[in-house]
Amino acid sequence: MITIPYLTAVSTYFSYGLLFAFGQLRDFFRRFIDWWLTSNLHGYAPICLGHEDFYIRRLYHRIQDCFERPISSAPDAWFDVVERYSNDNNKTFKRTTKTSRCLNLGSYNYLGFGSFDEYCTPRVIESLKKFSASTCSSRVDAGTTSVHAELEECVTRFVGKPAAVVFGMGYATNSAIIPVLIGKGGLIISDSLNHSSIVNGARGSGATIRVFQHNTPSHLERVLREQIAEGQPRTHRPWKKIIVVVEGIYSMEGEICHLPEVVAICKKYKAYVYLDEAHSIGAIGKTGKGICELLGVDTADVDVMMGTFTKSFGSCGGYIAGSKELVQYLKHQCPAHLYATSIPTPSAQQIISAIKVILGEDGSNRGAQKLARIRENSNFFRAELQKMGFEVLGDNDSPVMPIMLYNPAKIPAFSRECLRQKVAVVVVGFPATPLLLARARICISASHSREDLIRALKVISKVGDLSGIKYFPAEPKKIEQTKNDIKLD
Amino acid sequence: MYVRALPTTDVNRNTEWFTYPGVWTTYILILFFSWLLVLSVFHCSPGIAWTIVHLAHFTVTYHSFHWKKGTPFGDDQGIYNRLTWWEQIDNGKQLTRNRKFLTVVPVVLYLIASHTTDYQHPMLFLNTLAVFVMVVAKFPHMHKVRIFGINGDQ
Repeated sequence: MITIPYLTAVSTYFSYGLLFAFGQLRDFFRRFIDWWLTSNLHGYAPICLGHEDFYIRRLYHRIQDCFERPISSAPDAWFDVVERYSNDNNKTFKRTTKTSRCLNLGSYNYLGFGSFDEYCTPRVIESLKKFSASTCSSRVDAGTTSVHAELEECVTRFVGKPAAVVFGMGYATNSAIIPVLIGKGGLIISDSLNHSSIVNGARGSGATIRVFQHNTPSHLERVLREQIAEGQPRTHRPWKKIIVVVEGIYSMEGEICHLPEVVAICKKYKAYVYLDEAHSIGAIGKTGKGICELLGVDTADVDVMMGTFTKSFGSCGGYIAGSKELVQYLKHQCPAHLYATSIPTPSAQQIISAIKVILGEDGSNRGAQKLARIRENSNFFRAELQKMGFEVLGDNDSPVMPIMLYNPAKIPAFSRECLRQKVAVVVVGFPATPLLLARARICISASHSREDLIRALKVISKVGDLSGIKYFPAEPKKIEQTKNDIKLD
Repeated sequence: MYVRALPTTDVNRNTEWFTYPGVWTTYILILFFSWLLVLSVFHCSPGIAWTIVHLAHFTVTYHSFHWKKGTPFGDDQGIYNRLTWWEQIDNGKQLTRNRKFLTVVPVVLYLIASHTTDYQHPMLFLNTLAVFVMVVAKFPHMHKVRIFGINGDQ
């Protein structure tokens, strides 16, 4: 539920209209100029059909320097951002050798495993020396090492399911698994704000896709009832299978899914639940076991639990955890398991070590400390931002907090000014978010210290004043209140 | 002062921006301010200014709603490549509130333009032609219809 000031909504539409109009004008003139130029591609079909590259050429290129900034160090709390310059108006960039040390508010480094760790990194280096950087084979040929088997067993223990299978890439896990689980004649009901890997997998499966209003279990129930009653399109036969796909933490909103209600509805209508815990595994829950632990949902009620190791574990890859029969079936059918190269062994070792640290099996309580710290940091940061008058989305305890910007001009303004003040933020606009709702997404890490957060708050407050994004009234400072109290006394 | 924005269920990023609050007001305000702009640039009578606004509105909206097909980005892999913007909004459902609003606006513009020019020729003829084409293009029966193959696919 986002609250927009009405004037901001009107001005945002107007800004986009103006940008669109200018883009069309420039395209119009470009067509005349290009008519006179000869081209040696006569007879070839155009690469882009119609105007499908319009957004990239006329809107995205204008602010391209805010995205894809190269970094030259590990994604720790502070990192080095490479400085670039452009000679042709942001179309191409040249990297310089200068770097600037910035505060990292963009990496998904939730538990701080993104940089040197005293338990994980020596073990990873050892595994690199022993097993080398790549397995050079798919899982079924020669790519399963003892580390892979240990990793899958570790994941089952951590997630709380009977069996698990691990893949080399998180995006590919979703887009390769969903077509294996469901096909033509099936129904996928997915949340309207699901990640593009799920959308890709769903489109690739050939099943019918229906969307329910974001995080609204009542609308999910309505859609389910309607679809079950109607049956398959045209033939109206009953659906072969119904899968409801939800995410643990939605990466663009920072909201936590209403999992207990969703699971209750799915049980009632006999639909399967597919939970994508990319951002929530390892980051929320008392011992980091994700959204099921946080909301008290029994893991046996969620049929397919998917997650990635890129966020909280500082590695790469994804996993699917489920019943033994499900995992057996996937290992025989999924192309990401049969044909794709398996996850590199050092990365697998990093995940195993990270899981051991989180569970406390390395003999220290660093895992519990990290989890407590990320929860503290997230709640502190969110509360302070809201006190300053920013519109911050996301639930309490969620380490992802988007700050709403709305106007397209504020996207590059916020990003560039923050970079000048040595704070690196990630800004997101259309089409990753709805047109009106551009935002700056802050990801808090357990490796941020209190001073880092206070510094970030000062910078964001200053930049927020400059770009006018404090849409809510700020809360009055407590010092003035105590002064008044003393006066009254 | 504040409005609440519920996330929509429209997956088509090209049209879901039309479901958020504030669009209708922006549309009407753009028309009004362009009338003021035309008046100040051309020093003409208000009627001629409304006629110019009406005809410019016709050209722009016909081109962007009923001529251009597809979406301005490539993420959706071209599933809307055969549909114009008008056929894409509200997922192809006819007679929704948005569609009714967009049909009423050219008619109201026509009435204002004809009234302020006192129904004189040749403005009346041009305005009537414009509104006729606009309204017919928005009929539910014209969904995915390409007359004589104009603007059809290759």
